[in-house]
Amino acid sequence: MSKPRISRRDVLKGGVGLAALSALPYAPKAFAQAENDRIVAAAKGIGKTDVTGMIWSNYFIPMQPSMEDFRKLTGIGTGNILDISVFDIPQRAMAEALSRSPQFDFFHLDAGMIPSLASAGLLEPLDPYMEKANFKINAVGDYANLFVYEGKTYAIPTDGNIHAEYVRKDLLEDPDAQKRYADKYGKPLKFPETWDDDFNIMQFFHNPEKGIWGSGNLRNRANGVTWYLMYFYAHGGFPFADDMKPTLNTAAGNRALEIYLREKAVAHPESPGWGTPQMIPRIAGGHVVACQYWDGIIKLNENPKKSKTAGKWLYGTPPSANVGGKTIVRTISSPIAAIHINRYSPRKEAAAYLALWWGTAKSANQYVGDSVNVFHDAWNKANMTSPAVMAAYTPAGLKAVEECLQVACPPIYLTGYLEFQDQLGKALSEAYVGQRKASEVLPNVENEWNKIVKRIGTKKLEEELKSYKAAMPTINVPKMS
Amino acid sequence: MSSVVAVPGSIAPAATREVSRARGVKRFKWALLTPLIALFLGILLPVLLLQLYFSFHQWSIYLGSWWDADWVGLDVFKDVLTDPRFGWSIVRSLAFALGSTVGCFLLGFGLAYLMHKPFRGQAIYYILFIIPMLTVPIVVAYTAEMLLYDVGPINDIISRVAGAEYKVPWLTNPHTALLTAALLEIWNWTPFSFIIMLAGFSSLPKEPIEAARILGASSWRIFWEVQLPLLRPVILLALILRFLEAMAEFPKIWALFQGGPGSATETIPVYIYLTTWQYFEVSKGAAMSYLVMMLMIAIVLLSIRLLRREKHAIDAMTTAAPGGE
Repeated sequence: MSKPRISRRDVLKGGVGLAALSALPYAPKAFAQAENDRIVAAAKGIGKTDVTGMIWSNYFIPMQPSMEDFRKLTGIGTGNILDISVFDIPQRAMAEALSRSPQFDFFHLDAGMIPSLASAGLLEPLDPYMEKANFKINAVGDYANLFVYEGKTYAIPTDGNIHAEYVRKDLLEDPDAQKRYADKYGKPLKFPETWDDDFNIMQFFHNPEKGIWGSGNLRNRANGVTWYLMYFYAHGGFPFADDMKPTLNTAAGNRALEIYLREKAVAHPESPGWGTPQMIPRIAGGHVVACQYWDGIIKLNENPKKSKTAGKWLYGTPPSANVGGKTIVRTISSPIAAIHINRYSPRKEAAAYLALWWGTAKSANQYVGDSVNVFHDAWNKANMTSPAVMAAYTPAGLKAVEECLQVACPPIYLTGYLEFQDQLGKALSEAYVGQRKASEVLPNVENEWNKIVKRIGTKKLEEELKSYKAAMPTINVPKMS
Repeated sequence: MSSVVAVPGSIAPAATREVSRARGVKRFKWALLTPLIALFLGILLPVLLLQLYFSFHQWSIYLGSWWDADWVGLDVFKDVLTDPRFGWSIVRSLAFALGSTVGCFLLGFGLAYLMHKPFRGQAIYYILFIIPMLTVPIVVAYTAEMLLYDVGPINDIISRVAGAEYKVPWLTNPHTALLTAALLEIWNWTPFSFIIMLAGFSSLPKEPIEAARILGASSWRIFWEVQLPLLRPVILLALILRFLEAMAEFPKIWALFQGGPGSATETIPVYIYLTTWQYFEVSKGAAMSYLVMMLMIAIVLLSIRLLRREKHAIDAMTTAAPGGE
């Protein structure tokens, strides 16, 4: 039997043809339609089913229209929903794992929990359903890898939730400030390229008497750890060696700690206790010079009805660091809100196809582009060209999101995620408020982490480390679109 | 002295009636106790036994079924007892519970003293005073968050009264955070002490007070030497119940602080929650719960002993009093 011969010319011709097709305005729609049709075809035989789930209404409301579309086409929709915060669902989901309960069919929670929940036996791998529907997570960059654990996909994202850099444009473009800054630092005042630039800008404009504080980054016990990990990754750090020995007390870890703690000088005095409910109004209200913050706030900032600072911001990737001659840009995605399916559910097939449906370009554009319920941040490639999404983020804002997604890192992507994070968060918070010496933080956390590793099992975590590393971005600097 | 004259045929029915009455009382007691015993055996006991099982077995939710967990004897308890974080969380809980209990009691007692005699409009004050207790703790926490913000209404009032700007960091300073939590607890639960003390004042016998007044005692002496000693068991009860409640306080502290800033508000319920539901160290959480339960049982037993002693003291006092029998 002879193999069909495909010449290089044929391949090139085909490529040109596809490129021409994709340039046509209806091409993405046609592709999106095909993606949806395949899921409907795969789910068709299941029949009328109401699936139950745990999901926060802030997320669920904008997902309902696309769910109703799916119900019309397949009979599969949602029934009882337990409306609790995305921050409380991990505990509830673990309780379901403990009791092997079939009560809930899906959980919309932080994908950082995948290793823990999969180890507890709760999660259904989605690859067979994705294969049957010929579906893939069409996320920007390597973002889809954040949902893979030990070679299997365990969740479908609905929210990018990466940290982007925010700097006040009106302050940066003030000619007087530009002159003073250049005189003081010997370099032009512009969007920060390094972490020191970022801090200098925060310091330069920090003026509490006029109601403006340099930093809008969070430093409370629950959230501060996310910032620390971003700084750590950005300086080439990775928290464990191959033998699961913690590697926090390293050059990258100490530099991250320095950045973390020095911002106290330019932060609001109440920053040790502030979370998003306190900080978001301050950012949109014009009381912050610069920060790395969740990208959804771009939508709020640029909404003149809700923000005093619409049009006054510059957005981009967080600053870079030079590590061994290499420039590294890193951001973090945490919590990564995604749909996970209960392995013990009798309706898991229906729930899985509904999850895939929510992961399509059409659905993602619908809920990310919702102008009222803004919890879902852009993540799907289709979001980057969607007029509704672009209108919400502004073209510059969406470009920043796209760049950030290319270099987005996960939180501690291992079994024991919450414990690793809380031990680090606690020690950082203690140092930030003066309960602990800075020099004690990293040795102390390494000591605590060693205990966690021992308890969960070094061998098991060594295996998991492969998934963690595979979830890290493969490029150092985002490709400019 | 009266003599009993035996009437033939009447002893047997009287004895039968007595037996029947005793049986009736016994049945009534069992009717009351059975639901409680059933509740204990059906719900509480299995939970306690399961917790005991976890305390003696090292089990991680990630590594197989709980019934396959390894027996480790007292290792988990040793781990807990050598954990400085556990020790500090007990210290914080005790400080919080003692401070807030005393605060609740003093205010509740004062209000009850002012309210125990009828006056016009008393019902309105009564409703006003118990409103905090009817407020859900989580609502108290979120309301407090808005009120205690650095440029919020509370600091504004303090600044106006003091005539200088004060920005007390109620929620974000490790030195003030636990105090803030205790103040909120006092606001929330003073009505509880108030109600108990009001009931105590209402149940005081009038005769000793009247007698003291007739003998010319001042109001202060009546309060100090008659009312207060008679109220001692009620006071003790109010303190004990409030202390036990305060040791278990979780919603306000979690909603406002989540154990922070730093570890300033990491009380024992917070640490048990973190251990069990964030670290998923079910065995350690169970062992900690058992140790705390033992501590609470010791406090309750001591309290019962003290209550009994107080009751005996009052009985002796009323027996010794002229005409008191």
